[in-house]
Amino acid sequence: MSGDLDVDLAVRLLGGTPTHENRDPVLLRHWAVAATEFGRRMTPRAETVRVVERDGGLDAGLLARYRSRPPVVEVYTDTVERAERLVAERGWRHWFPEGSVRAAALAHEQAHAWLHHTAVRAEFKRALGHTALRFGRRRLYAYVAGADEVAAHAYAHAACGLGRSPLLLTEALAAAVSWESEN
Amino acid sequence: MGVVILLVMAAGVAAMLTRKLPTAFALVLLAVVIAFLADAPLTGKGSVLDTVLQEGAPALAATMIAILLGSWLGKLLEETGIAGTLVRKIVEFGGDRPVFVALGVLAVSAVVGTVTGSAPAAMLAGLIGIPAMIAVGIPKVTAAGTVLMGIAVGVPFELPVWQFFSTALDLPVDTVRGFMVKLFPFALVAAVAYVLVESRRRGVEHTWSLKSVRARPARGDRRRRLGDAPWYALLTPAVPLTLALGLDVAIIPSLLGGVLYALVTTTRPREMNRRLLRTLYGGFEVAAPPITLFVAIGILLAAVKLPGAVDALQPLVKSVSPQNTVLFILVFTLLVPLCLFRGPLNVFGLGAGIAGVLVATGIYPAVAVLGMTASYNQVFGVSDPTSTQTVWSAQYAGVSPHQVMLRTLPYVWAVAFGGLCVTAFTEL
Repeated sequence: MSGDLDVDLAVRLLGGTPTHENRDPVLLRHWAVAATEFGRRMTPRAETVRVVERDGGLDAGLLARYRSRPPVVEVYTDTVERAERLVAERGWRHWFPEGSVRAAALAHEQAHAWLHHTAVRAEFKRALGHTALRFGRRRLYAYVAGADEVAAHAYAHAACGLGRSPLLLTEALAAAVSWESEN
Repeated sequence: MGVVILLVMAAGVAAMLTRKLPTAFALVLLAVVIAFLADAPLTGKGSVLDTVLQEGAPALAATMIAILLGSWLGKLLEETGIAGTLVRKIVEFGGDRPVFVALGVLAVSAVVGTVTGSAPAAMLAGLIGIPAMIAVGIPKVTAAGTVLMGIAVGVPFELPVWQFFSTALDLPVDTVRGFMVKLFPFALVAAVAYVLVESRRRGVEHTWSLKSVRARPARGDRRRRLGDAPWYALLTPAVPLTLALGLDVAIIPSLLGGVLYALVTTTRPREMNRRLLRTLYGGFEVAAPPITLFVAIGILLAAVKLPGAVDALQPLVKSVSPQNTVLFILVFTLLVPLCLFRGPLNVFGLGAGIAGVLVATGIYPAVAVLGMTASYNQVFGVSDPTSTQTVWSAQYAGVSPHQVMLRTLPYVWAVAFGGLCVTAFTEL
């Protein structure tokens, strides 16, 4: 898993997102690269969002959640702790320093909130370049499901100075939690 | 004896509620017990074996065929990618406005709801629609409820449902259609209100989910090769509706028209035979649970219409049935929760028997009973946490059916109130 490039992980995430069932892998890779680039370049405005720490994330399969009404970021402490332990077990501390999982969770959700701003959304769609309709030289850009998730992970990657994309951590954590629940 | 029959019915409801017996088995057992209590002979005219079991089982045959054809059409919508393409286009055009996506999935669910019902309808619209809504930020409960509310918008125009009410209540299809057209605006307004109000109340939600990175199961190589359905094939769900509603064509040929249109717009001539057979056999599998239920409902209807049962139940039911317009609306609106949890007013359970009693005893005109049961059907179809479409949608979205019930119930209760008002003011 750690041998996969970050972009491969992003392509896998897009491929598993509904509406992309029969997409060309080359197109998915193009979107993954574009969304990652966009996420890395994002400069979200710091907004006052309440942060709540909660338990029960492992059961729900969640590490963090952003809700807009009222604006709140929920960080699931049990999942964060399990992720930190996993980093230590796998010897990935040089990629994910102590405390970086929580910081990445906050940055990830901040990126999602930012991607809801109209101007940011429009710029993001242009960056992805997927056309929904074309009238002569004019074209209407289409929404690409899952691309905002890739961008949010890329932003967390860059903003927290991580060695690898948090997608690697998410995949490893999902596999570990699934294995533990089955055994 | 009427009291004993009512007690037996209550025991039947308890058996269904506690899942001691599957609904269909419980209804058949109830029918046989009611027939014996009504002093029906074992064989001959008005008997347990000949009238209740032999004549009752195929009594709703036309409904069963309509259900089968609806399921066949549903399978075609799935296999040819028509339903998936509709949802995909909506997400591409409006994905950055979650409310727009939810309204779009609501519309697709309504269209699918006109073709087929229950879990297959929820799966047709929800397999792509629910995760797509969640991906754009719609909260999970709202996403599951949107598919269910959408299907309920389509139900007034679901041709197998017209056939069911027409046969079960012995009403012309035109009469059923007339009431359904009046019920539709209530279902539509409630569904749109659900999406708008719930989106405003709950806003958007994004998760760092461990599930999002797990690969989804492949949906078959055939689908992968086919890609999107052509735009003119997307009109398929409108074909049976146009034929039945606009051109007055009978229900079964209307549904066959839809099957034919889906086939010729999506399939190469040399593949038609195989696709038709494959989807038809798949349709049988989908239609098996509702057809089993309709066999049991036919048997129950035959039992409650026996002269002995009618004589026993008439005075009792008459004494508790409100005749005043306002009381009718008030009482039956308050009784709405009794169609949940396989309750006694569930029209695909004991409710069909109660409707049969009301019609057979002449307490209300058949068209008023249609209004009542069709209104309850709107509630049952969306909010009942034991109905297959609610369970499937909730679990697929990752929430509990009870959460979906609590969120959707106020809206569908209002729909039932609207339907009962129309019934009381036009049919009583």
